[in-house]
Amino acid sequence: MPYKILDKKELAMNEVWYKIHAPHVAKKVQPGQFVIVRAFPNGERIPLTPVTWDRDEGWITLITFVRGKTTMRMANELKPGDELLNVAGPLGNPAPMKKFGKILAIGMITGIVEVFPIAKAWQEAGNEVTTLHVSPNPMVILKEEFENAVSRHIVEGFDLQPGWGMNEIAQELVKRAVAKVKELLENEHFDMILTVGPAGGQKAVFNVVKEFGIPMHADLHPIMVDATGMCGACRVTVGGEVKFACIDGPGFDAYKVDWDELIHRSGFYAPMERLALETYLKQLQAQGGEQ
Amino acid sequence: MVRKRPKLIKERVPTPERPVEERVKSFVEVNLGYDFASAVKEAERCLQCPVEYAPCIKGCPVHINIPGFIGKLVEHRDDPNKAVKEALRVIWGDNTLPAVTGRVCPQEEQCEMNCVMGKVGDPINIGKLERFVADYARKHSIEDELLAEMRPSVCGKGKVAVVGAGPAGLTCAGELAKLGYDVTIYEALHKPGGVLIYGIPEFRLPKEILDKEIAKLRELGVEIKLDHVVGKTVTLEELLEEYDAVFIGTGAGTPKLLNIPGILLDRIYSANEFLTRVNLMKAYKFPEYDEPIAVGKKTIVIGAGNTAMDAARSALRLGSEVTIAYRRGREDMTARIEEIQHAEEEGVKFEFFLNPVEFIGDENGRVKAVKFEKMKPLEERDKKGKRKIVGTGEYVTLEADTVIIAIGLEPNRIISEEATGLKVNPDGTLVVDENLMTSIPGVFAGGDAIRGEATVILAMGDGKRAAKAICDYIEKKRKANA
Ligand SMILES: Cc1cc2nc3c(=O)[nH]c(=O)nc-3n(C[C@H](O)[C@H](O)[C@H](O)COP(=O)(O)OP(=O)(O)OC[C@H]3O[C@@H](n4cnc5c(N)ncnc54)[C@H](O)[C@@H]3O)c2cc1C
Ligand SMILES: Cc1cc2nc3c(=O)[nH]c(=O)nc-3n(C[C@H](O)[C@H](O)[C@H](O)COP(=O)(O)OP(=O)(O)OC[C@H]3O[C@@H](n4cnc5c(N)ncnc54)[C@H](O)[C@@H]3O)c2cc1C
Ligand code: SF4
Ligand code: FES
Repeated sequence: MPYKILDKKELAMNEVWYKIHAPHVAKKVQPGQFVIVRAFPNGERIPLTPVTWDRDEGWITLITFVRGKTTMRMANELKPGDELLNVAGPLGNPAPMKKFGKILAIGMITGIVEVFPIAKAWQEAGNEVTTLHVSPNPMVILKEEFENAVSRHIVEGFDLQPGWGMNEIAQELVKRAVAKVKELLENEHFDMILTVGPAGGQKAVFNVVKEFGIPMHADLHPIMVDATGMCGACRVTVGGEVKFACIDGPGFDAYKVDWDELIHRSGFYAPMERLALETYLKQLQAQGGEQ
Repeated sequence: MVRKRPKLIKERVPTPERPVEERVKSFVEVNLGYDFASAVKEAERCLQCPVEYAPCIKGCPVHINIPGFIGKLVEHRDDPNKAVKEALRVIWGDNTLPAVTGRVCPQEEQCEMNCVMGKVGDPINIGKLERFVADYARKHSIEDELLAEMRPSVCGKGKVAVVGAGPAGLTCAGELAKLGYDVTIYEALHKPGGVLIYGIPEFRLPKEILDKEIAKLRELGVEIKLDHVVGKTVTLEELLEEYDAVFIGTGAGTPKLLNIPGILLDRIYSANEFLTRVNLMKAYKFPEYDEPIAVGKKTIVIGAGNTAMDAARSALRLGSEVTIAYRRGREDMTARIEEIQHAEEEGVKFEFFLNPVEFIGDENGRVKAVKFEKMKPLEERDKKGKRKIVGTGEYVTLEADTVIIAIGLEPNRIISEEATGLKVNPDGTLVVDENLMTSIPGVFAGGDAIRGEATVILAMGDGKRAAKAICDYIEKKRKANA
């Protein structure tokens, strides 16, 4: 079943946008749901989130953060007109859709991609939505789209320093996110918080939100294989029970998530992370050289 | 024709196997099967019991005419192609996946257990003969000729959706296609086959063979839609609007995990995750294939069914030392005897009467040992006829840097959660009546989805029975509407 790449472009540093013919997904997908993509015959299955879609024309768009082998191969080898081998979905549960009131929806780095469909739908459902994108400046995306879709869009960007690796970026990200969220919550009232991003960042934000006692919905990103509830690779502890994020989530009540365990499990592929980091740094240098 | 009373040959003609040293280094098939001459020799041992009596047929859940197909091999012994073609025609009458069932069925508990030759010597090697017929036919393009003959002349008798491309769904689809229905299979994964593709390893069932068995269905006109998760991509209700009937063969694919401390440590896999990575994603070929898998030096597999054997033998092939830890005794193991023997030959160690109580991790959060309570058997038996066990209060700790949990599977909840009208038993299996119809009229179900973890051939038997029931249902509905 071929899923044609109708269009593709680089939105920002390491952020690639794809428009894909996948009528079965386009017809059904709801904000908060994701798809599983397999791009190469010897490839792995990776979870990605439809950002926008057209039910009649039968396409969805995906945005990937080029972080490891699969996303990099996709960025380098796929051209418009090529086909993805598999696009399965929609998968997971839709985000809760109701009138919460004033919402703060936070996306860290590429996490903002997943915030988009949810925030937009919440706004359309009569909520007053503020979105916050915490990200390195060269990776800021979807600014205009957010400005058109929600009440207010804030970008908390920061510059990358020479020699920074993933660790330093992550530290800066957490620092910025925590400071900005604190500032917002101290000055305004919110009824609901959403976060998407690295587990460490989400936990740090949760610790701030907790002090204000505001309900919080977190989209989690454990490793997934089948994403149909068949393997348990994506298991997380929520409210003391083992849940499979692919069928019970990916969104959960942040107050019930065992954050330390999730952070710990996200770190399992440490050697790969190192590899991803090295490649990432090389790309940063190349980027620097062009400027 | 009056047959000459055959001379009793008590011993089976053996099938060659790859030597242990060679096979533990790769995922190639262990058993090499018969060639034509040895197959005929084995076939000649069969007493050709009359079809209405033959106990082997009764032992087979889909009632293959066993003496019928075996007889063809002997009858046309001078023309191998003809012998195989006629034998395959007989088998296909009842079973469209003989290359699979010949390999994975527990024949020792089914056809071969009933075989009268078993009373005086070895039972006829029915499974290996079935496999031989299917393999030879495939290699010599005999299937295509038969398929052309089988293709239904009348199509358009109705439209049926089949959910799940495991043995139950594939069989139901094949039978309906032969009867002239338009059939579409909806499968969640990127390859059809169910457990046959993601669970059972290459060294027992080469995937190339499976792919060819499934390709036959496409020849019969069955459409397979991959990447479609029913309940998400399309709902049961929507299927019922478009099709005259639906068959649910979604299996029992959700792993049970142990609810004990340390379950979320690194390198603790469910057998399904481990086997899916290895089989479906070919992680054993990493980095040629992208899917990674991390196996350490010492693996403990918990459980003793087919899943545990497959996981253990796969871990062994990835270079680990492997111990199977089971809470009951040797004679209580549920895996096929042939697989237990293969595992032992290959060097898998077995520990009995050990029940895990805790996983112990190192400072990096990776598992380093498993703590077990020692168990002992009682005289009393449970509902399944197994000896009950109790804890002794004594504990033992075994070192391991990888743990694979193979303690069982439950039906996947995606469809039953979405289709609220679908009645479900407390264990997650679907409620069906004697015609395999669920609580929703026009929706039928079979295989592990109604039985819980069972066998390939029982799933196929259900698929076949359901196809018949679906046919009757559609005819009846048509008459009522006429
Ligand atoms: C529900 C869900 C929705 C997602 N949506 C998007 C999206 O819209 N856009 C996007 O860019 N990414 C998204 N992700 C993350 C995406 O799946 C990973 O970026 C991708 O799998 C990395 O593949 P890779 O081969 O390029 O990197 P790998 O070489 O596999 O890994 C590189 C790094 O990514 C980490 N990683 C691997 N798999 C995952 C995973 N499943 N989730 C998180 N981190 C992972 C590894 O630990 C490693 O640090 C989503 C994840 C989930 C669970
Ligand atoms: C590792 C292992 C080894 C085994 N070894 C043997 C053996 O040697 N001999 C033997 O007889 N039996 C064996 N079994 C048991 C046997 O494989 C099963 O009983 C049999 O496969 C059940 O068939 P099924 O068609 O009911 O389900 P499955 O084979 O489980 O197939 C179900 C299919 O439905 C799909 N599906 C699920 N939900 C949905 C959905 N919502 N939408 C679309 N598709 C969906 C799944 O992806 C899957 O492809 C083994 C099982 C395992 C796990
Ligand atoms: S029971 Fe044994 S001997 Fe009799 S027909 Fe069946 S296979 Fe042959
Ligand atoms: S990814 Fe396999 S169960 Fe969720």
